[in-house]
Amino acid sequence: MLGRLSKVDHINVTIMSYSSILQIGDSQIVNGFSRALAVQREAEIFYGNEGNLPDFRAIVKPIPLPPITEDITYRFHHFNPVIKVKGLDVIGVTNSSILHVGNSKDISLEARIMHIRQLLPFGHEHEMR
Amino acid sequence: MNFEVYNREICVGNIKITGVASSSMVMIGDTETIQLASAFDTPPESLIIGPFVPLAPDVTSGYVGETI
Repeated sequence: MLGRLSKVDHINVTIMSYSSILQIGDSQIVNGFSRALAVQREAEIFYGNEGNLPDFRAIVKPIPLPPITEDITYRFHHFNPVIKVKGLDVIGVTNSSILHVGNSKDISLEARIMHIRQLLPFGHEHEMR
Repeated sequence: MNFEVYNREICVGNIKITGVASSSMVMIGDTETIQLASAFDTPPESLIIGPFVPLAPDVTSGYVGETI
């Protein structure tokens, strides 16, 4: 089942981080996974070994994905087999995301983020300086 | 189900995207199966207002699907 041709004149990506992919060309299987513990802290303190990820439910809880039970047969008729894009400007691609130019077969991405905010009590910010 | 597609001309000018984050995807092309999943959690108790307490150190390795 021949896929179409993707033609992109120019791609402009500013930043890519945390297991993200810029794929130019065809691929068969793409598998991305990312676990993040985002801590916003009012005090400028960082120990480096903090954060025990399996403690948090969002990181460990399995995500239920609906199974595909229906058997689907599909046929494509490409009268003009070219996808033309003049320009693609992306500022950020992060957290196991993908910017894919071309055909693929199976793509499976998963990202898990636990967000914690630690604020100092009102009126005590000067103590941490 | 029988799914029949007749593709003709497809031309896009400029695409401007601010961010592609947490297991999302921007694709120019064909594919068969796409499976995207993301879990984001910030429960009420994750907003801590008070004297600074460091988080628990990284010790256990009980990740999903990890064989020890």
